[in-house]
Amino acid sequence: MSEDLQCVDEAVAEFGRDASAVIPILQRLQQRYRYLPEAALRRVCELTEITPAAIAGVSTFYSQFRHKPVGRHIISICHGTACHVKGSELIQDALARDLKLGEGEDTDSNGVFTLERVACLGCCTLAPVIKIDDITYGHLTSQTVSRALHDFLELEKRGIVPERHDRTAAKGAGLAEIRIGVGSCCEAGGSQSVRRELEAEVKRLGAAAVIKPVGCVGMCHQTPLVQIITGGGEPVTYAKVRAEEAARIVRRHLKPGGIVRRIRAGVDTVLEHLLTDDTWEPVSRYALDVRDAPVCSFLGKQKRIASEWCGDLDPLDITEYAAHGGWTALKACLKAGQPEQIVEEVTRSGLRGRGGAGFPTGRKWAVVRAAPGSPKYLVCNGDEGDPGAFMDRMLLESFPYRVLEGIVISAYAMGIHEGFLYIRAEYPLALQRIRAALARMESDGLLGSSLLGSGFDLTLKIVEGAGAFVSGEETALLASIEGQRAMPKFRPPYPAESGLWGKPTAINNVETLAMVPWILRNGAGAFQEMGAGSSRGTKVFSLAGKVVRGGLIEVPMGISVRDIVNEIGGGTPDERGFKAVQIGGPSGGCLPASLGNTPVTYESLAAEGCIMGSGGLVVLDHSDCMVDLARYFMTFTQHESCGKCTPCRVGTKRMLEILERLCEGRGVKGDIERLEEFARTTAGGSLCGLGKTAANPVLSTIRHFRDEYQAHLEGRCPALKCRKLVAYTITEDCIGCTKCAQICPVEAITPAPYRKHEIQQDKCTKCDSCRQVCPSNAVVLGSPGVSVDKEVG
Amino acid sequence: MPQLTINGRSVTVENGVTVLEAARGLGITLPTLCHLPGKPAFTSCMICVVKNEVTGRLIPSCSAPVMEGMVITTDSDEVRQERKKILDLLLSEHSGDCEAPCTTTCPARMDIPLMIRQIAGGQLKEAYETVTDRIALPAVLGRICPAPCEKACRRGHHDAPVSICLLKRFAADEALKVDADVPPSPEGLRRTSRAASAPDKRIAIIGAGPAGLAAAFYLARSGYACTVLDEHEAPGGQLRYRVARDKLPMDVLDREIDVIRKLGVLFQMNTRIEPGAGIQRLKANYDAIVLTPGRTHGDSWHLWPVESDGRGVKVETGTFRTSDPMIFAGGEVVHAGQMSVRAVAHGKSIACAIDQWLGGRPVVGLEKSFESRLGQLKEGEIGEMMKDADPGTRVEPEGEHGAGYSTDKAVQESRRCLQCDCRKAKHCKLRDLSVEYGASQKVFTGSSRTKFVKTVSPQVIFEPGKCIKCGICVRLSGLAFLGRGYETVVGVPFGDSLKSALGSAAADCVRNCPTGALAWKADA
Ligand SMILES: Cc1cc2nc3c(=O)[nH]c(=O)nc-3n(C[C@H](O)[C@H](O)[C@H](O)COP(=O)(O)O)c2cc1C
Ligand code: SF4
Ligand code: SF4
Ligand code: SF4
Ligand code: SF4
Ligand code: SF4
Ligand code: FES
Ligand code: FES
Ligand code: FES
Repeated sequence: MSEDLQCVDEAVAEFGRDASAVIPILQRLQQRYRYLPEAALRRVCELTEITPAAIAGVSTFYSQFRHKPVGRHIISICHGTACHVKGSELIQDALARDLKLGEGEDTDSNGVFTLERVACLGCCTLAPVIKIDDITYGHLTSQTVSRALHDFLELEKRGIVPERHDRTAAKGAGLAEIRIGVGSCCEAGGSQSVRRELEAEVKRLGAAAVIKPVGCVGMCHQTPLVQIITGGGEPVTYAKVRAEEAARIVRRHLKPGGIVRRIRAGVDTVLEHLLTDDTWEPVSRYALDVRDAPVCSFLGKQKRIASEWCGDLDPLDITEYAAHGGWTALKACLKAGQPEQIVEEVTRSGLRGRGGAGFPTGRKWAVVRAAPGSPKYLVCNGDEGDPGAFMDRMLLESFPYRVLEGIVISAYAMGIHEGFLYIRAEYPLALQRIRAALARMESDGLLGSSLLGSGFDLTLKIVEGAGAFVSGEETALLASIEGQRAMPKFRPPYPAESGLWGKPTAINNVETLAMVPWILRNGAGAFQEMGAGSSRGTKVFSLAGKVVRGGLIEVPMGISVRDIVNEIGGGTPDERGFKAVQIGGPSGGCLPASLGNTPVTYESLAAEGCIMGSGGLVVLDHSDCMVDLARYFMTFTQHESCGKCTPCRVGTKRMLEILERLCEGRGVKGDIERLEEFARTTAGGSLCGLGKTAANPVLSTIRHFRDEYQAHLEGRCPALKCRKLVAYTITEDCIGCTKCAQICPVEAITPAPYRKHEIQQDKCTKCDSCRQVCPSNAVVLGSPGVSVDKEVG
Repeated sequence: MPQLTINGRSVTVENGVTVLEAARGLGITLPTLCHLPGKPAFTSCMICVVKNEVTGRLIPSCSAPVMEGMVITTDSDEVRQERKKILDLLLSEHSGDCEAPCTTTCPARMDIPLMIRQIAGGQLKEAYETVTDRIALPAVLGRICPAPCEKACRRGHHDAPVSICLLKRFAADEALKVDADVPPSPEGLRRTSRAASAPDKRIAIIGAGPAGLAAAFYLARSGYACTVLDEHEAPGGQLRYRVARDKLPMDVLDREIDVIRKLGVLFQMNTRIEPGAGIQRLKANYDAIVLTPGRTHGDSWHLWPVESDGRGVKVETGTFRTSDPMIFAGGEVVHAGQMSVRAVAHGKSIACAIDQWLGGRPVVGLEKSFESRLGQLKEGEIGEMMKDADPGTRVEPEGEHGAGYSTDKAVQESRRCLQCDCRKAKHCKLRDLSVEYGASQKVFTGSSRTKFVKTVSPQVIFEPGKCIKCGICVRLSGLAFLGRGYETVVGVPFGDSLKSALGSAAADCVRNCPTGALAWKADA
């Protein structure tokens, strides 16, 4: 394999021989070999200052790195919160079954597919989601998932390689504009193939139209979205557009008078209906679904600052950004030449960090500005590891220039000349856009030496994360940039005084920085006017789970949780309404519907055992089990713990063991109290925020749903979610169609035409397949003592 | 220069000093595990927590820099409780035996693997000392003990247990050989014992059976003046009058009694002590009385002037004290029908308790340490344990039935031992702190303990199951942290050899590893 190792030499030549080059080098090697062969790793050690211990430590810490060869294609199964509550475990089992994987195996015997568990693919509105190489499949069931495999193999056979193009469309006056969403959800929904079809059709017609990619529109539950603006006319929006329909949409608008098919929202395309009327409703009144409230109320209570001009901007069109007020704040700051004034203005605005802790941003800047030592560094934290959140991803993908403008302003305010954007590798689109935006800014003189002729120098670099939730914690993030395992350190010293390579370092979250241009453009007062208590301005949330309209939302602080779910999110598909809202992900908690009036502020959420967190908001309904959810988060936290400090490393595991036995009906008397006690130990003694908050999902669910814990202790799962505690049975409604028997993968049902079928409980693996195929809803789920007629979605 | 208060005492220290260092300056020692002086703090174990009363938070003192106006408490109940919890957590994932299962099963708690290592290394004198530290009549017991230790022996999971009993007999027989290089001299035996707390005191021992002989042996070894009184013609009790001759030749018993005699113990044979007046007389002439008369007179135990119940004379667990503070009872008078080794163990405990009492110290008997236990072995673990052992089958002694080992055979058999005890059992920080804070392996239940794994280099043993992830060796050598979360382990990169990963830092790592995870193969 000697010539094969050429790639190592090249990577070393590109990234250098320092210890800090280890992560980019490993990423390059994995790109080349698809895993990390030992020979390549040894070669790295020969060529660089990186020791075997360092390379072994780092490559086994980050989950991106693989040490075994993989199949031809990688199937990433999302186990993020939204996907979990929508049944990702069933998907995982179905795939393992389809690929005939044995216990502990991840690759099928032909070496075609390798299964991988991932936390949040960032398109939670399409949950449950899997990604096969670069193609995302959403809204899956254990039934449809095998179709996804076939579909993918079919594409491969036909040589259709998904490609990404980010060419900015030129825009001419008088042209019709066809906007296509290219946010992650839209892309996952298939917007690239729709876009190809749109382009092909426009070309074929020779029509006077430009196709314009736009960032997230905030309606991720309806992707892909296509919006058409013809000269003078009102924009028309199509939801859930399929590639086959793209051409017809184009023909409808560019050749007026034809028959138009408007796509009705719904999972099953059989339900699409044909519309024959010629009147086009403007976007604000476009009914996406008979049950949906009008979109205007969807946008109603929102206030867009970080996501300003959402849906209007081509993410990478710098002229357009400028035309919408971009760079004015930066230019004004440079012109005024009083960086300390900027710090003061931001302090006055009341802006607090949006990364979770809510530390006053102005105060942090002032500390860094005053800290002795140079150089000073700036880090933009785009690690976003909460497994049910995608705010920062959307901001980076849809508003790259806004985030970067915020960065340049903050660097100027603190006198910093070197900055890093730490973005997780799981966000390829965000990385791609930021990379392109940086290049454009450099060529436009918005970065580099004496930017915009101001005499102020700034260089920005991208650092790709490698898959570790804890690397979002600020001291861990710095360790990661320095090429180490992302293990947090005790503070003080705080990074503001001693950060990267021991120098003062300002770390801010993506969203925090995206607020900055607006604040300086509109004044601290305008920002300060919004909000409640000490929580000022707006907050971006990613709304997902059991909600009709999921997506990226931005609301003024102080809005109630109920308003977010019911008015902005359109309530739950289940008519009983929401049961609870999970806020803040693995560090947060569950707020029950009874406390729905709680205003969204740092303090009031904390008072109910939740946290604002970074903005993941997952709506739960009555089919969601709170004990299962606590177990889910503890599994996540336990796995993501850096493994350093005793309380977190061991305490999370011990809590998880109790939660697991509760979910399996093996609970022991006193387990609830034991959990509470273990939670206190873990929270009290842990070194960093991960461990300190790890017990929140457990404590908040015990606090608000203690009866559910009690039920599990007695062997019941009231939500019928915990598989070990439920049983599938067939009722008298059975018409003897044999469908269940045919679909059952483990032959737990014997076919008996025209007679009532039976399920052999000892064989049943609770895969849910029979229930999904039964035409007469005769397959039902039950848990001892829980009524059996409940629908589980 | 910041000024702060620690446990109510005010101190001014240099900037940048940690709370730990500031406390040391005041003579306050705080427990640490992951702290490595001279290297940057790692902050992983959290055992060093103290409370900052100003913020109300518990902080790791090894890492927290002092700040002006800090008010620190280092020893409140809250702080101690927190440290206990940290230890409980560490112990819940700890895979190791402090003492070998044979030792913990042995009623006399003899350090069996140490004895075996000494035999294997040809250190026969030391082996005899190890045995006699717990067992007063090793040559005798080497012939008659039913060897419960062997039933617990781990090697039995692989093929057959180590012949512990024969090895013990070998160690004793070698020492008792008339022409041995190192016959057990009274001085030698005394040297290996703790000196008496009150050397001028006199002790009467009623009954010359195994319990009484053992008590006499240990008390005399410490320097007490002992008199054994027995109604029989010759000492030995049941050993002489009940045990079959072919199992225990009388000259073996005589020789071991001789050892005791040489220690200065007086034997008054043909002397029957009456439960009433006899005892009163002894109480008047001696400072303590050991009551080990056995059951030669059937159910007459209740005649002794101390409390008894339906089974025998009542004693306090561990100290063998009766209701009369001067009288300590052991052997069959306490509980009939027991193994001789148990009676011998009683003798040792009684000697210890009497020494404590006469020395005016709290009477607690033999000190109990903390014991981490592996318990039931998991699949594959026996294979790990076999890694450094001789794979051969159990060695049988040559010669006629009832013969003992020759030196060659004994050495050969001793190589079969898996060395289940922890090589750091006597200087493990985790164990010491667990004793100090009363920590337990049982608090955090539901635990699936990590698999026992062992890596051996020519000189060092590495057992990651005992590793607390303190990172000291990672900071010092080429070992690395591998993985993340609960599954984090310390290991050798690329599966290379332990020796190469440790390199020149081996000695430093072994010395600083706070547990037995990294230890020298040979006893320190
Ligand atoms: C376990 C853990 C994970 C975190 N992940 C993130 C993250 O993904 N993004 C982020 O901006 N902050 C994250 N934080 C918070 C950062 O430590 C830090 O507070 C934040 O980046 C500061 O920026 P801000 O003041 O603008 O919020 C995390 C904290 C912890 C304890
Ligand atoms: S709390 Fe958890 S994640 Fe944080 S340092 Fe400790 S072990 Fe690592
Ligand atoms: S009987 Fe059980 S295993 Fe079979 S299809 Fe139904 S749920 Fe799945
Ligand atoms: S490392 Fe310490 S606690 Fe663990 S077995 Fe050894 S002596 Fe016992
Ligand atoms: S193998 Fe050795 S140390 Fe282990 S139980 Fe047997 S005799 Fe004891
Ligand atoms: S093996 Fe290393 S990390 Fe583990 S306890 Fe010993 S010194 Fe610490
Ligand atoms: S995409 Fe699955 S939870 Fe976000
Ligand atoms: S954390 Fe202070 S000694 Fe380990
Ligand atoms: S040596 Fe202790 S029981 Fe055998």
